[in-house]
Amino acid sequence: MFSLHAPAGRRALLPALLLSLLAFAACGRHDDASLPQAAPAIKVGTQPAPDAEQVLSRQILGSPRTLDPSLSTGIPAQHVLDDLFEGLVTIDEAGHIAPGVATSWEISADGLTWTFHLRDDAQWSNGQPVTAQDFIYGWRRTVAPATASEYAQALAPIVNAYDISTGKKPVDQLGAEAPDPHTLVVHLVAPTPYFLELLTMAYLAPLYKPAIDQWGDAWIQAGHMISNGPFLLSESVINGHITLLKNPHYWDAANVRIQKVVYYPINDPSAATSRYLAGELDWTNRFVASDTERLTKALGDQVVHGPYFGTVMLGFNNAVPPFKDNPKLRRAMSMAIDRKIITRYIEHGIATPAYNMIPPLAGYTPAIPDWAKLSDDDRHALARKLYHEAGYSDKHPLNVVLTYPTSGPSVRRFMDAIAAMWRINLGANVQLYDVQWKVLLQRLQMKQPIFFWNAWIGDYPDPFTFMQLFQKGFAQNYGDYYDPKFEALLARAQASPDNAERYRLFHQAEQILNDDGAYIPFYYYPTTHLVKPYLKGWKDNVLDRNLSRYMVVLQHEGH
Amino acid sequence: MLRYTLRRLLGAIPTMLVIISLAFVLLHAAPGGPFDAQKALPPEIKKSIEHTYHLDEPLYEQYGRYLVQILHGDFGPSYQYRGTRVNDLIAEGFPVDVGIGSIALALALIFGTAIGILAALRQNSVWDYLPMGIAMLGISIPSFVIAPVLILIFAVTLHWLPAGAWSGGDPSHLVLPALALAAPYTAYVARLMRGSMVEVLGSPFIRTAHAKGLPLRTIVLRHAIKPALMPLVSFLGPAVVGIITGSIVIETIFGLPGIGRYFVDGALNRDYTVVLGVTILYGALILLFNLLADLAYALLDPRIRL
Repeated sequence: MFSLHAPAGRRALLPALLLSLLAFAACGRHDDASLPQAAPAIKVGTQPAPDAEQVLSRQILGSPRTLDPSLSTGIPAQHVLDDLFEGLVTIDEAGHIAPGVATSWEISADGLTWTFHLRDDAQWSNGQPVTAQDFIYGWRRTVAPATASEYAQALAPIVNAYDISTGKKPVDQLGAEAPDPHTLVVHLVAPTPYFLELLTMAYLAPLYKPAIDQWGDAWIQAGHMISNGPFLLSESVINGHITLLKNPHYWDAANVRIQKVVYYPINDPSAATSRYLAGELDWTNRFVASDTERLTKALGDQVVHGPYFGTVMLGFNNAVPPFKDNPKLRRAMSMAIDRKIITRYIEHGIATPAYNMIPPLAGYTPAIPDWAKLSDDDRHALARKLYHEAGYSDKHPLNVVLTYPTSGPSVRRFMDAIAAMWRINLGANVQLYDVQWKVLLQRLQMKQPIFFWNAWIGDYPDPFTFMQLFQKGFAQNYGDYYDPKFEALLARAQASPDNAERYRLFHQAEQILNDDGAYIPFYYYPTTHLVKPYLKGWKDNVLDRNLSRYMVVLQHEGH
Repeated sequence: MLRYTLRRLLGAIPTMLVIISLAFVLLHAAPGGPFDAQKALPPEIKKSIEHTYHLDEPLYEQYGRYLVQILHGDFGPSYQYRGTRVNDLIAEGFPVDVGIGSIALALALIFGTAIGILAALRQNSVWDYLPMGIAMLGISIPSFVIAPVLILIFAVTLHWLPAGAWSGGDPSHLVLPALALAAPYTAYVARLMRGSMVEVLGSPFIRTAHAKGLPLRTIVLRHAIKPALMPLVSFLGPAVVGIITGSIVIETIFGLPGIGRYFVDGALNRDYTVVLGVTILYGALILLFNLLADLAYALLDPRIRL
């Protein structure tokens, strides 16, 4: 999936940043005084608090655009829908796949037919049983052109999904069938090893047809919505709060301790930090990078940050000069940047420098270029050599415009820093040009910027979600990158049902991108949280998805 | 006066039409569309979504459709919040702003006029310089500084009041946002009131009242306040609209579900219908409150006949 936190897309950090900027930057960062020297001590017991105190106050990074699983986009919606709906499979505390409505599944030898066995005790929040037909209804609704879902294309691995979403085939041709109410057979276009991860997403949730038939668009309102997850919708106020209550009909309700979840949409990270310090939030979803040291001093191990499945990059337009057919120049630009300085001083040590595109992923060996291991001086010398070989010098410096989205002071500092690195290490003149996010998106789609900010957060933990960015014809291949060897490797990887083989092929493909200097990797996105010590069952994970059902509020004094 | 009011209301119709047309054209002229996302949609799907919202029609047809729609009191669906109507967004958000705005307005008027009058009566003393100095600060310090400072003191440090959120009108949640919103207005009202009061107190009819031996209390309350309120009334017309239609800064910092955020958020996300809906509301309120201010003039100043 895309990233720099697109407002209308799945990630909603950008509006946060934009809003803080609109609030004239200052509200995006309070002064030093806004953090107490030491947080009041919280005494935590070992026993769960009584039911009346099992209330979770969570921050989401903005109001969900909608709570309709078929139409939902953005992280905030996914977080709420993770609690409201449950797909065939779900994720556990650590972000790994866990059985959901399906208890088991079989995959055919060719990887194209998946058979899911549904539990018979799965119920909707009104007590009706959840059947395979509810999944088929939900999926058909997501791909139907009349629904106009922005995520219709995410179902493309399922047979005929793409043709249905583009109106070429009727909706009943979707490759999913229910031989009996508790068996769902899914036909895929290609072996899709990440299909289980896709199945955890809201747009593949089952839906309760009678409620949608009865209420139309208004079925997502509290009182109308029927859901099958651990929680049910109690109240929803856009930009205010979303309140969920424990769903007594959930199959695992006996193990759900939390009685009530209140989601607060807060897109200003400083405001979230204040609310946390005031004891109004049990955990927060982002803090301002420059607050890291002070927060750590005041809160100790309540400050949690870890890797996230996303990478910040810069992209080149490979179809026009100066970067067209110029791998030496592209690589020189990448080598000239001192990533450690950026992550240490601008990201305050919470981000990890990246020399490849795919963030750390279990089982996958990242393709790190050799120059990443050189000393700073050697790397700069190599960069200068390539820069000169590409035909540039102090007398004929590179002049280029770098386009990036307006999104707050920290991005500006970061851009200023890299522009200075290019000037000092190469002598290149890079002009910085910031535009509104929507404007940048439109220009990127028209392939206008020749040098641009880009960032990507994986839709599912698999290299392909990143590799696609350089695939010919892919909508987000903004730089029009094309390499036949790369394409061939991707095609082979996609056709292979063997994951180890796929990862090997992706590794080779990533190496081609590195050798070609196809993009400039910068750093992997971090997750940053403040978490109260009395919250048990919360675990930082690379997907940054935390289901409320796993959490317990322990007895505690103070907040 | 009735005829005057009717004439003004009729005159508002073409003004509103100009506002709507300009906003419509400017919004659609801005680059980028509501359904541009980094996860770019395949053209067929994007087309189907845009067709659902009639965005594929020529602009003049969309404009005509929109005008007919708002005549029926329907502001259309939000593009950003799929499945939600603009009418519902405004119906939900506007009361929040009116609630906090009214409290802030009341605070600003009560404290602002009182401070202004006292400063005018003790002109050029410490009771003038001190409050006016503070008022100057109040005007100069923006709410995005005042609000976090209030949160730091009353929520984070003292734990007296919540740092944010809207709990269906729980009064404790109103206090800090209302104070932060009121601060600059209080300061402005105080300075305005002091200025006009000083002027009125120096005028011949007040000197006459003094000469007749009337007590200060009577002079101020009976004779001086009414004419001194005139500049305040003309300030209040637009100011009331500003204060009750929400502030993006206050709403963002306190996490309030008001319409100020829809306006800015909607503009950034090219949510045309939301921005238009809020613009129409703003426009109508500004016209209405300017009319009310003019009517108030007539009540306050016997020389003005409408």
